[in-house]
Amino acid sequence: MLAEQILNGIVLGSMYALVALGYTLVFGVLDKLNFAHGETFMLGGFVAVAASALGAPIWLAFPCAIVLCGALGLLVEWVSFRKFQSADAQITAALSSLAVGLIVIDLVQKSFGSEPVSLELPLAVRTATVNIAGTELAWIKIAILAVALTLMAALHALVQYTRVGRNIRAVAESPLSAALLGVNVRQVNQQTFVIASALAGMAGLMLALRTGYAASDIGFTFGIKALAIMAIGGMGDLRGAMAGGILVGVIEALAVQYGLGKLGEVVVWIVMILVLLIRPAGLFQSSTRQRA
Amino acid sequence: MTERNWLLEVDRLEVAYGPIRALRGCSLRVAAGETVVVVGANGAGKTTLLRAISNVLPHTAGEVRFANRSTRGVRTDLLTRQGLLHVPEGRGVIARLTVEDNLRLAYDRQTPAEPFAGACARVFVRFPRLQERLAQSAGSLSGGEQQMLALARALINPPPMLLVDEPSLGLSPAMVREVFRVLREFKANGVTLLLVEQNVRQALGIADRAYVLRHGEIVNESSGAALLADPDMLGYYLGSRAA
Repeated sequence: MLAEQILNGIVLGSMYALVALGYTLVFGVLDKLNFAHGETFMLGGFVAVAASALGAPIWLAFPCAIVLCGALGLLVEWVSFRKFQSADAQITAALSSLAVGLIVIDLVQKSFGSEPVSLELPLAVRTATVNIAGTELAWIKIAILAVALTLMAALHALVQYTRVGRNIRAVAESPLSAALLGVNVRQVNQQTFVIASALAGMAGLMLALRTGYAASDIGFTFGIKALAIMAIGGMGDLRGAMAGGILVGVIEALAVQYGLGKLGEVVVWIVMILVLLIRPAGLFQSSTRQRA
Repeated sequence: MTERNWLLEVDRLEVAYGPIRALRGCSLRVAAGETVVVVGANGAGKTTLLRAISNVLPHTAGEVRFANRSTRGVRTDLLTRQGLLHVPEGRGVIARLTVEDNLRLAYDRQTPAEPFAGACARVFVRFPRLQERLAQSAGSLSGGEQQMLALARALINPPPMLLVDEPSLGLSPAMVREVFRVLREFKANGVTLLLVEQNVRQALGIADRAYVLRHGEIVNESSGAALLADPDMLGYYLGSRAA
């Protein structure tokens, strides 16, 4: 029972981590917060709703979420961040992205209503179990965890070992130095938004598969929690977002296990305040940030 | 002067920081293959001039032409990829990336003529220290090593034109000689150089021509040797320190 709650926590935490990674990637590169990110995550859930309503196979929802949420990320970059590049435009960019997010919520509520929408999943998807080390575990949890961990590993490899990642790390440190080396800073910004938004979309999609419904206000609850997780891990730090996400997921699950119920929801905020009091830069020293 | 093949033409360039006019109608030209040095006292506008040429700073009036094309509205990274490489003051290495990543960034600038390993081998012949420090972060290098890395970006994928801002700043005398040895090699290999330096003697020593910049204006143009041979002129324009 305890082991299963910990697994639940890790599965939930990996969703937190995927969303927090997007916040932290954009913050690392632009030094600005993207407040439409939680809504990009939310949109991923409604891709799952649309796919199930149309009777499309579930796997098809994944590429759709990547394309749709990635496109939303590009739009946000263009509308809210391209024009507000200077360091003193932080608030303008943040407010503008918040506005885009609110418009997305409005559009989703116009299409799907404001109440949470259930997913019609094949029964087999909901109930199939897999036996690991003598414990019956829900197949869907294991699958989600596997996909989430694969995405995180892929992101790490992309950032560390590819040209795109090298450019992202260079722009994160100094857009000017990167430009003088020939790096197309605008393109790197776009790539960063697409990657961050696609990850959020996948997380939203998988959370909907896990819980069986999608809610249009989840950006304000789950999405804002991921923002706190970014701060816990260290603003702009990829490892911090991954570790922080899973940490908070497990702590929440244990809080539920030990009868704290709804109070478990506030754990993340208490953890954030404690971590920031002790280590203002977050648990991890910033690896992609810190401008020259 | 007879009509020459100008690679870089700066025509009455004006740059302002708010109400302060940092460049006041600054004009200069650099022919293909030439080494041109701009000297001037602190605050004369030397760094501003290079930054305006590479479009790091916007100019309010005047024009820059590179390879006979106006650079108006061309982003810095695009100019860099078109072969106008600016090694900035302070070297502009990416401190948190490894030396190898810094070299790769520079290598990716243009469609490379040779594989990365081969290009690196050429760099390491010149800068063996960089090979030893390949896996270290660039920020952990000494100032001299960072300047080597900054110049290596031009060596790994040689551009037609190089703008270099104060490469000897803060370096030991031995390292300064090393920097100028490298610049001479670029010159010998046909790279067009526009160099801004406070180390006037060394800089004029490699210059084909020199401009003196004062309060944002070009006040003198002559051959490097002629300027070097005229200590009164140097003292007048640069302050007695340089003469």
